[in-house]
Amino acid sequence: MSERVAIVGVAQTKFSPKRADVNYSEMAYEVIAQALGDTGLTIERDIDNAISCSHDIWDGQTISDIGITDVIGGHLRNEEKMAMDGSTAVYYAAIGILSGEFDCTLVLAHTKMSQTSRNIVNNTAFDPIYTRLLGLDFTSAAALQAARYMHARHITDRQIAKVVVKNLANALHNPVAHNKGRYTIEEVLAAPVVAAPLREMDIAPDTDGAVALIMASEEKAKRITPSPVWVLGLGTSYDAHYLGDRDLSECRALEQAAARAYRMAGITDPARDIDVIELGEEFSYQELLWLEGLGICPRGEAGRLIDSGFTAIDGDLPVNPSGGLLSGVPANVAGLNRVAEAALQLRGDAEGHQVHNPRIAVAQGHSGFCGQHQCVIVLGRE
Amino acid sequence: MKRNVAIIGGGQTYHAARRHDVNQVEMVNEAVRAALEDARMTIDEIDTVLVGNMEFFEGTHMTDCWLVDGTGAYGKPGLKITTGGTVGATIVCAGAHHVASGLFDTVLCIGFEKQEEGDTGAILSGVAHPLYGRSMAGAAVGYFAMMGTSYMAAWGATEIHSAMVAVKARQNARKNKYAHLKLDITVEDALNSRMLAYPIRMLDMCPASNGACAMILADEKTAKDRCKNPVWIRAMDTAHNEQFELDWRDVTTTKPIFSRTSAARVYKQLGVNKPADYFDVFEIYEPATWAEMVWYEDLELCGPGEGFKLIEEKRTEIDGPIPVNPSGGVLSTNCIGASAMLRVWEAALQIRGDAGEHQVPKEVRRALTTAYGGTNWTVLTALSRSLDD
Amino acid sequence: MEPEEPKQELINIPITVDVPYRFAAGTYMAKFLVELRDNGKFYGIKCPVCKRVQMPPRIVCAACHVKNTEWVELGPEGTLVGFTIMYLPLTDPTTGKPHEPPFSYGSVRLDGSDSVLDHFLNIEPKVEKIRVGMRVKAVLRPREQRIGDLSDILYFEPISRQ
Repeated sequence: MSERVAIVGVAQTKFSPKRADVNYSEMAYEVIAQALGDTGLTIERDIDNAISCSHDIWDGQTISDIGITDVIGGHLRNEEKMAMDGSTAVYYAAIGILSGEFDCTLVLAHTKMSQTSRNIVNNTAFDPIYTRLLGLDFTSAAALQAARYMHARHITDRQIAKVVVKNLANALHNPVAHNKGRYTIEEVLAAPVVAAPLREMDIAPDTDGAVALIMASEEKAKRITPSPVWVLGLGTSYDAHYLGDRDLSECRALEQAAARAYRMAGITDPARDIDVIELGEEFSYQELLWLEGLGICPRGEAGRLIDSGFTAIDGDLPVNPSGGLLSGVPANVAGLNRVAEAALQLRGDAEGHQVHNPRIAVAQGHSGFCGQHQCVIVLGRE
Repeated sequence: MKRNVAIIGGGQTYHAARRHDVNQVEMVNEAVRAALEDARMTIDEIDTVLVGNMEFFEGTHMTDCWLVDGTGAYGKPGLKITTGGTVGATIVCAGAHHVASGLFDTVLCIGFEKQEEGDTGAILSGVAHPLYGRSMAGAAVGYFAMMGTSYMAAWGATEIHSAMVAVKARQNARKNKYAHLKLDITVEDALNSRMLAYPIRMLDMCPASNGACAMILADEKTAKDRCKNPVWIRAMDTAHNEQFELDWRDVTTTKPIFSRTSAARVYKQLGVNKPADYFDVFEIYEPATWAEMVWYEDLELCGPGEGFKLIEEKRTEIDGPIPVNPSGGVLSTNCIGASAMLRVWEAALQIRGDAGEHQVPKEVRRALTTAYGGTNWTVLTALSRSLDD
Repeated sequence: MEPEEPKQELINIPITVDVPYRFAAGTYMAKFLVELRDNGKFYGIKCPVCKRVQMPPRIVCAACHVKNTEWVELGPEGTLVGFTIMYLPLTDPTTGKPHEPPFSYGSVRLDGSDSVLDHFLNIEPKVEKIRVGMRVKAVLRPREQRIGDLSDILYFEPISRQ
């Protein structure tokens, strides 16, 4: 990239199973006000573009960015809604700044999972003719993927349970996480089965919350903060829709998205070049599968990776030191929270879950069941 | 923008009320194939695919994921953006940003709606806040009906002016082979059509259409190498409007509102003093007749309160001095997620001289398009035949 | 190429998507609804910068990007700024059922407010009976029947002294 884009501000709500005290507009305003306050920026003087991320069906509002127009500064100005995971909002915000059309963009993701039914919402993401009537939702589809992945790559229940143990323990040090604790592998494996092989503790919990980022051009960023976090690479890709058209033990879209992002960022050996990863494990097995897709290890080796402690918070390459999605992050907000956590790590602002001196961080998010659409963002301190 | 962006191809479906012969994937694919054929490209030459529609109007969450086989996005980078009725134009803006960023040379932009597969009226009433104003169930009809009563009370226009807009749209549509409502109607026909919500009659309102539009954008080098007649995107501007203040129906308001604010910014950017002279053709988003007359005023094609005189004097007819919606506009075809993109594509066809029977009978070098959606949101897009225009 | 008449028998699959919601009103709207329910009063909120009185009350003034602060009692009388007579039985998304057409509804600017409120009009649905600019007042459900949502307003009706 000839010119660069930086993240200059980060704000997150405390995540919670239910926020009955606010509507989604007021919840969004919490993080918008905080991000503007922290950076000393104002909407009228500094912000010239806004991107929000949520979905009408989650919000129960047709054209649901109507609900955040007032608080995001959309009145008589530009705002666009990314109807995908929040990571793709960062991707598109960066493209907007690189285009020269915008200088400083406010990025917001918000969702209140508590106000409706996750299973019904996610069932409607299946095509209405062929698969929806089977009653699939993201959890049952993920169970198919988990079973296929475990079978094809000889991944064990215990290896997947280790992801839960690691992430919920990491979350103990994350002030915004709500699902946390010290558990043993045995306790995870004793949790009730929801859709075999997935157990209750393998599934990210329903959560309400919002995240805001402020992103700026290089020139603007340097005026805002002495410690901008640079977007070094970005990539997205779509896989096939129908599960029967994919080998669920692989994630080709993630491999393609990562290849694009790494090429841009000049990453040639991901396991060595990357210092910390925040990825979207909506289900625990996905952390292992996505690590293979991100090229951190060869296909089928992620089980041994977690066995070795390589991805522990004090390991060679910490993965989800924040506690990840298992610690409680809303759908849609998920990917923006990944990017926010990666940026906090690079700034050294991750508080209790800070990893040692990272220089390059990768954030990954996905939309659709079994990770059909994938987005990879590479961030760096320089 | 850091790089110039051109429209190097596009295509649309034959828009219709019933398309039981295709599912959503297949319908979108018709427009994609038409666009690729128009640009003489294959899907392999497309760097990224961007999709927009009205979220959940067809009852499917994350449609971009289902539609990958039809859009050609499989294995490619891409994304979905939604901004309501403006989304087709927003996707063009997003496409232009992608090209201008230098990361992509060719972008496929898609807007679509298969309205027959959902309950559009109920979903549009859901635009209102869930706890405030939703139970009126007025949908878009009720909103534009209030604009109509306000307009007549304020400026002395009558239902006859509305009927004139209705007739112009459908007579123009008869010249557009892709249009949905190709009706050989008179002012009397419009005035005698069924009352939906006073003063909006059946012929004063847009139809519910099924259809898709696709456009291919490219950087200057690719455009000049690959395309005989690229159309250049010269300015884009978006203005949303706050949630609860639907100022457009109080036509006497003097507050800064989305339409006038956005037009002023585009005119300033391009140095436009007399928009009616500067642009050779307009394609505007008019879900109802009254909106067309208000657009005339807000785009400064005439003074405040004079929009109805432009239609009375036939100045905005296809062969008039200020042709507006030679395609037949949204009043003739409204596949919502495609409608705002159709405005841009139809304007591009006029500049290329490829609009066929609805080509305006004068040289077209510059065109302006509008979009409409949400709680009074718009996207304006200005196009030109060359970078010198 | 015009689409050809298909020979294949065509199938349409009927699906009803029924999504339940439970919306938090939020602190600003909650005060509005509670005042309406318990005291039969309308409250708007004033922007500290532009002084615009907004209803429904909301957290931020969209024009000034500041938090709204001052509560203001409004109405219950107001002026009709636009209306329609609805002849279409469109689905009410709050109930899933249509209202019986024809019925009239309009936009009312309550006295003291810069915003308008859309609600039903208790006026015979005839064009000659309704005019932009007419004075109207809100009629609420009896106190004991109010439930704390906008249906506590039954309708607006003309002020008889006109």
